[in-house]
Amino acid sequence: MIIDANVQPHFRSNAEIRRYLPEAHQLRAVPDVEQQWYQAPGGDYRQDLYGQHYPGSDPETVSRHLFDDMGVDYAILNPLTRGNIADYLLNTSICAAVNDWLLDRWLEPDGTDRFRGTIRVNPEDPRGAVAEIERLADHPKLVQVGIPMQSREPYGKPMFEPIWEAAAAHGLPVAVHINGGNGVDYAPTFAGHAHTYPGYAAFMPLNYFVHLATLIVEGVFGRLPDLKFVFADGGYDILTPLMWRLDTFWLSMRDQTPWVDRYPSQYLPGHVRFCSSAFDGPLDSGEMQRWMDFTGKSDLLMFGSSYPHWSASRPDVIAGGLDDAQRDKVLWRNASDLYGLGAKENAR
Amino acid sequence: MPTRRLVCSLDELPPGGMKLVDVGKFGVGVYNVRGALYAIVNYCSHEGAPLCLGLIGGTNESAPESPGRLRRVRDGQIVRCPWHNWEFDVTTGQNLADPTRRVRTYQVDVSDGEVYLTA
Repeated sequence: MIIDANVQPHFRSNAEIRRYLPEAHQLRAVPDVEQQWYQAPGGDYRQDLYGQHYPGSDPETVSRHLFDDMGVDYAILNPLTRGNIADYLLNTSICAAVNDWLLDRWLEPDGTDRFRGTIRVNPEDPRGAVAEIERLADHPKLVQVGIPMQSREPYGKPMFEPIWEAAAAHGLPVAVHINGGNGVDYAPTFAGHAHTYPGYAAFMPLNYFVHLATLIVEGVFGRLPDLKFVFADGGYDILTPLMWRLDTFWLSMRDQTPWVDRYPSQYLPGHVRFCSSAFDGPLDSGEMQRWMDFTGKSDLLMFGSSYPHWSASRPDVIAGGLDDAQRDKVLWRNASDLYGLGAKENAR
Repeated sequence: MPTRRLVCSLDELPPGGMKLVDVGKFGVGVYNVRGALYAIVNYCSHEGAPLCLGLIGGTNESAPESPGRLRRVRDGQIVRCPWHNWEFDVTTGQNLADPTRRVRTYQVDVSDGEVYLTA
């Protein structure tokens, strides 16, 4: 079995979102999903997917590519929204429109029962985000909450906690993914605004660690034992040395954060998952098995294709170099446990 | 074999005090914690620093309902390693972050106003 934990479905065109916006927001300026400064060479999406409509916007084509060509059994759809918008109430409305569109165009008509979806929420509006979770959490095909990697505060800060409480109460993991659109954001990398796409693409995904570190250090995971975060842009390959640092400082300065009652790395198995990325891991696949077992990463990583992105990866490539047990965990077992998918197939 | 030896008179080791005894390879620190006596090896379980030269004080525990969310506790029984700030409880030898990273403790007793260490 194969579960693809990271697929981005798109509107057929940017303007299609207006059909799903409430009247009060229908005539407002809404940024395009592609409105950003860093264009991948050759386009952001796989070249064979450009046509009359956006790549990844036709459920039948996406089904054929994922389920037939790549052998995927289940795909978690995590659509982008349109950046962190200064009018956070408009942004909440955009998130709701994306959710209604996902249900209308993808999940409700899906006869294959292989698509699962994400409840997109706007963390800059915690009250609106909680309301959106409450509105949709009981839908059987919505299996996680989705938020942008871009944020003006790390997600461990207390103002976000009501959102994580709502997600945890409904048993929904929170997936963090680099968003579409250029919002009201800080510089995308720790080196500021990169000049070129490689600088952006190499470093932007690593912002996950700021969120992860604060979720641990501020005690969020300690207070919410059922809360799970999925970092969907990869970055698992640098997890080990960064956790070594957190563990080291905790041994020395535990008294500043005494609510952290175990090594920071000990929160990982119960709270954190990653989606694979084409940019992660050693170039020499001979080093893969050993590296995966550092910090127990074999139990944290889930295959995510990033379809229809230009760097979309196939399951056999992501599993290249892994041993059989690691391969099973990465290609389906970890995602099956997290999302409760594929019990039928597993029983076979 | 451990032997019992005289450290000092109890008057010379008041509450909050520590006497470093030249015994064994690294020495042993004898502490008076609010009137009770304890001893730990002068050797941090991390990288071997002279642990007993570190400051003695309290530590913080989580207090979710109080404004600073911290509470000061165990005053006078926590020694902090002078090299990397690791905290040890001198009454148990346990590291506060990771109890498996402990340091050795020794018997101390008082007889006729004199403090004795068995190390």
